[in-house]
Amino acid sequence: MLTGSKTTFKVRQMLPDIKERMLSQSGVNARSRDVFGLRCLPGECVLQRAVMVRKKLTAREGRGWVSGTLFCTHFRVAFVPQDSPKADDNADPVLLGDHDVALASIEKVVVVGPNRTKLVTPNSSLKFTPEELVLYCRDLRVVCFLFDRLTPDAQVIEITYTIAKTYQPPKPGSVLSFQNAALGSVEMKQFLSNRHRNTHMNWYESASDWEQELERCGATGWRVSSVNDRFEMSTSLPRSIVVPQKVLDTELKKSFAHFNEGRIPRWCWRHPRGSDLMRMSSFQNNIYHEKDDIRNLEMILFGCHSSLCVVVELGEELPSPADIQLAHSRLRALCLGDISTSMSVPDDKWLSTLESTHWLDYTRSCLRKASEVACLLRGGHLTVALQEADDRDMACVVSSLVQVMCDPHCRTQQGFQSLVQKEWVMAGHRFYSRINYHRDNDKEEAPVFLLFLDCVWQLLSQYPSRFQLTDDFLLALHDSIHLPLFSSFLANCQRERCKRSQNIGQSYTPVNGWRDVLHPDSSSDPSDPPLPSVWDWSLQYSKHRRDRFTQPVPPIPPLQPLLNGNLNTNPDAHRLTDTIPGSVFLLSRGTFSCPANLLPWRSGTSGVYKKSHRRAPSSENVPGLERLLKAWALAEFPQGLTSTSAPQGPLDPFEPLLPLLMGPCMGLWRECYLRGALHAQAFSHPISANHPHPVERLAREVQQLKDKLAQVSTSTAIKPASMMAEPRRTDTNLNQNTNNGTFLFPASRPQSATIATAAPPPTSTNHQTSKGAPPASAPPSRPGHKDNGGSNKHTFLFGHSSVAEARPDQRYYPAPNNAKLPKSNGSSISS
Amino acid sequence: MASPVSAYNSNALDTHISSTSRESLKMELLADVSLLPGEERIIDKETMYICPFSGAVKGKVLITNYRLYFKSSDADVAVTLDVPLGAISRVEKMGGASSRGENSYGLDITCKDMRNLRFALKQEGHSRRDIFELLFKYAFPLSHGLPLFAYVTQEKYAENGWSIYRPVEEFRRQGLPNNKWRITFINKSYELCDTYPTVLAVPFKSKEEDLKRVAAFRSRARIPVLSWIHRENQAVICRCSQPLVGMSGKRNKDDERYLEMIREANDTPKLTIYDARPSVNAVANKATGGGYEGDEYQNAELVFLDIQNIHVMRESLKKLKDIVYPNVEESHWLSSLESTHWLEHVKLVLSGAIQVADKVSSGNSVVIHCSDGWDRTAQLSSLAMLMLDSHYRTLRGFQVLIEKEWISFGHKFASRIGHGDKNHADQDRSPIFVQFIDCVWQMTKQFPTAFEFNERLLLTILDHLYSCCFGTFLYNCESMRDQQEVRLKTVSLWSLVNSKMEMYLNPFYTPESGRVLYPVASMRHLELWVTYYIRWNPRIRHQQQSPVEQRYKELLALREEYLKKLEALELSDSSPSSRLANTPNTPASSTPPQQYTQLQTPL
Repeated sequence: MLTGSKTTFKVRQMLPDIKERMLSQSGVNARSRDVFGLRCLPGECVLQRAVMVRKKLTAREGRGWVSGTLFCTHFRVAFVPQDSPKADDNADPVLLGDHDVALASIEKVVVVGPNRTKLVTPNSSLKFTPEELVLYCRDLRVVCFLFDRLTPDAQVIEITYTIAKTYQPPKPGSVLSFQNAALGSVEMKQFLSNRHRNTHMNWYESASDWEQELERCGATGWRVSSVNDRFEMSTSLPRSIVVPQKVLDTELKKSFAHFNEGRIPRWCWRHPRGSDLMRMSSFQNNIYHEKDDIRNLEMILFGCHSSLCVVVELGEELPSPADIQLAHSRLRALCLGDISTSMSVPDDKWLSTLESTHWLDYTRSCLRKASEVACLLRGGHLTVALQEADDRDMACVVSSLVQVMCDPHCRTQQGFQSLVQKEWVMAGHRFYSRINYHRDNDKEEAPVFLLFLDCVWQLLSQYPSRFQLTDDFLLALHDSIHLPLFSSFLANCQRERCKRSQNIGQSYTPVNGWRDVLHPDSSSDPSDPPLPSVWDWSLQYSKHRRDRFTQPVPPIPPLQPLLNGNLNTNPDAHRLTDTIPGSVFLLSRGTFSCPANLLPWRSGTSGVYKKSHRRAPSSENVPGLERLLKAWALAEFPQGLTSTSAPQGPLDPFEPLLPLLMGPCMGLWRECYLRGALHAQAFSHPISANHPHPVERLAREVQQLKDKLAQVSTSTAIKPASMMAEPRRTDTNLNQNTNNGTFLFPASRPQSATIATAAPPPTSTNHQTSKGAPPASAPPSRPGHKDNGGSNKHTFLFGHSSVAEARPDQRYYPAPNNAKLPKSNGSSISS
Repeated sequence: MASPVSAYNSNALDTHISSTSRESLKMELLADVSLLPGEERIIDKETMYICPFSGAVKGKVLITNYRLYFKSSDADVAVTLDVPLGAISRVEKMGGASSRGENSYGLDITCKDMRNLRFALKQEGHSRRDIFELLFKYAFPLSHGLPLFAYVTQEKYAENGWSIYRPVEEFRRQGLPNNKWRITFINKSYELCDTYPTVLAVPFKSKEEDLKRVAAFRSRARIPVLSWIHRENQAVICRCSQPLVGMSGKRNKDDERYLEMIREANDTPKLTIYDARPSVNAVANKATGGGYEGDEYQNAELVFLDIQNIHVMRESLKKLKDIVYPNVEESHWLSSLESTHWLEHVKLVLSGAIQVADKVSSGNSVVIHCSDGWDRTAQLSSLAMLMLDSHYRTLRGFQVLIEKEWISFGHKFASRIGHGDKNHADQDRSPIFVQFIDCVWQMTKQFPTAFEFNERLLLTILDHLYSCCFGTFLYNCESMRDQQEVRLKTVSLWSLVNSKMEMYLNPFYTPESGRVLYPVASMRHLELWVTYYIRWNPRIRHQQQSPVEQRYKELLALREEYLKKLEALELSDSSPSSRLANTPNTPASSTPPQQYTQLQTPL
């Protein structure tokens, strides 16, 4: 009897209190709040709660403690501060509040009692009343709750048990139940299916998206092919791929067989100076090369630059996914310490232990490779093709890093999201396998994407003023990876995503007409909830946290769009194009070579090529190429190339941001990895939450002024003429006003002064209403702007030309190659 | 003009320099080197500078009584060196008349500021003899009966830096004297203690005879005296040297009673004595007559802070130099850095100061000493005061702190730095003050808005620690400075700084009094001061100002711009619809945005 009653007691603990269930369920329709202030998602039940709990705030949140109520639902551990403002009942549901932790991101639950610490598992029983509850999360957060003496003991014990039993122990199948808990209700399904997708970024889902990117980059000679529309050519490639215009689809089809997984060379991006970046998988060697095939293969590989192609081999110098996984697990262990024993690496061994994780070595090698590629691209008219065995890991890292370095657009939030969409999500990075949500495929697990984020953070920390996005944004992205809710990360390629979205019923599918192509796959259940995209940030983050994803006032010079892919400013370009057409070089370990077997069809075994195109492998332009790389080496030795490396040197927007890679220059992303509570945290701002950093404060001030200016000018602009009021709505109009960009703002002209104020720099509206006008940095890709010609005009247009006129020009646009720059710079600053 | 000497460039990009010196660099080879008033040319010579970064560079070297100046004659490789002779610790001949190989014959110069210089000369005709002898003579003037350059220069400044610190004024600022503490002039002519300042604050109850008897029991008569008092809780920081316990474990009732007086002044339940040394060293000191306070001191607790001595610090920095100059250790940077232990020493000093500050802010008086009380003790007391008292975080307050805790209390700058002295291997040399400035830098990194001064000030201080251009850091103690008439015959470094204050101001400074700063003293959060220790490496960007600072200035400009526009609009538009424009347009008064107020709920 006794034992029996014990079990029933335990079972009863597990069941949500009936009253509470009633409460939260009754709230479903009205989306109302629980009496204790937790706003449940539709269908979400509160399993347990504890009152008078204190949550430890991190340095970022301002440190100290905040008191409130702790909840456990079957989706999250939620915490509602006592005096939190009453949420608007009609607002859209937010999956996680600022203080909440999704059950799926909890890795370990630890309780601290008097003089002891205990790891709580679903089967463990407590012999003491915990004083502290610590949740170790997969995303390296450590969330700590302190139970007050006023918290009833029963609540403390029960909520601990409930969390321990309901959090997601890594096992297959738990992910789906988690997804259902979050998104499975009818209301959530309805809600998600009605959501508008972010139109300010490029999703690269359709051919027109790619065309938009071609246009943004000014890449001519390329076309979007739908040859893979049914994923018949390559299962892992997206439906649309960009290939040279001169290659016909019928010719293209024959080339897929020559590449691993059919991942033929595809265009990724064009450098404004005209070079193209491509990526491809390794060659299939056991295949006979027909003469026609060879012609096509060469055409595809050379793209628009028939003269010169550099194949960058990514296998050798970069870490393998297994290396990355090992390094990351070591880094985790180092930063979190041994969770169960609260032991951590002794302080005096910290540096060497950090080194031995090799994590920083790997970020360095990725950045080095990307810097090399960036230097090649800026050199002029050539094709750089990244080649990786399966083209699905390090190629994603390097191609996207190159673009972050070279393309200011990719340093804005929307641009970066588009980039990830292009080079990772659509390009078929195997997020699903690499993240290993189901914990069923440990061999494949490797946080390649997190390594990439770290690389971006290194760039951001070395060039903070050249980014519009902030490290808060990178952190949000970092944390989202660990939440198995987003379609972006829950599939390995576009094909899988399509399959899934097709199976969950018509209303949730982006109707694009390909649904009939695929056969329903039995593996995913038709009742699976629809999955949102990770870019739908408002599902996860409140407005004020999303506001911190971007710098309040964008950096100067502005992150302008790339307009023209044919900026021909580099003298080296001529020499390089001089070379014999058809030269291919391999870049490996920093040197160029032309090994005989670089292109299998040119090597001796396949024969056909040599007979028809007898041509000695040219090494004449190796010096030319090496000069380009030397520029990169010199960048680390600035006296040679002052113009490119001086910190606030020439703000030529197309100069790549080349990071310094020496040991002392590579930092640890402390705000991400050292969020744990095992050691004291540094205050980055002594005056914390109530008093932001003066720069932030000033930025907000400037923002407010800007808004006020916009408001005031609106009211003034309405009076003179209706045409004045128009331009502030869309940036299309704004652009039309700026064909004489430079002369738009001068205060001397009485008329233009009103125009200037009537058309606030579009960024302000962007930050204010995220669904308002497209961001300033959005590519003006709509038809009608192509003839804007040189980008100089736009430099001024998007560049707060008001500032440029207020201060000496050379401060913002110093003449390039000015060897005496540091001097003049210095004196202007000290004055 | 200001700052004629803060320019020590190894190359044209080296930019932590004042504008004047830059101007001088623009001028043609040696012809137009702008010399300081009182500076004289000694010799110049065609030579080859063996630059570790860009190879051998042809050019001309000039030696004056103040500096070594080199300028390349090759326009392609613009290399300029401008090294005050004071920064040189060692000059050696490299190679012999018969040595083979290119550029193997010349001079090898070791500097105190983390770099070495090599010059190659023609082998024919003993071409280096004269330059070597002259350089040796002027680099080490005191060893050759010559005056230090600070006594030679005629530079004039608008401000007089010698007036920045007046002991009595500083005590008054702290609220002294009061009914527990009195000011004594017993050391007016340095009779009580020749390495202490003349003005001392001691317990009110103590009599002059007590002080003399205590002096007999403290190493070099450095008795416990007050450095700082907490305004609210009246807890104090006292500093002194070790008690002369010796092998036999001597006791001194007067010393015990004196410490008891310190404790009683604010009725601290237990007086905490911080011995900066590792306990082993403290014990070992008994053999030489020193030691530490034992159990006989009632109501006192003794805490060892485990900070190593000057020799360990010197070797540690030497190791650091080895891995950063000329080339930065690439393959195993972090473990190499760890093996120098430099950051670990910095951490121990900081964490010791944190303990002191914490004790004092919770109302307990403390006494700090090491062996003689002029190295580690100065580090601990000044850092703790920096944490406790926001006044010392201002530009002028920081000058006072250095004048008070370091200069007046007899940190042996002359011995530690070896100004004008040829004996480079002197065991008394040690980078204790550099380490202190490093600790300050670590704090400014962790609290970017708490300090009124910027990194440039710290760099300038360290540059002139060696330059011998100013009298500030010369000699070991006040009595020597009086004897040498430093204040009369030389200029203070603070004259330079305070004449050009805006150069040294931190734009982010947000004054906040009464807040104690506790930096995190963990290897996880300490950083190597790259812009000081690796600044000669051209790969390290010499940032004139940090990107954040730059952005701040840009924002300021934007704000100005918008304000102007708003104003213009208000003027041009008088319609009632523009009443928005009439709302106060002083942005400083605008309320902080909503998102920050939501977080202000910590308990």
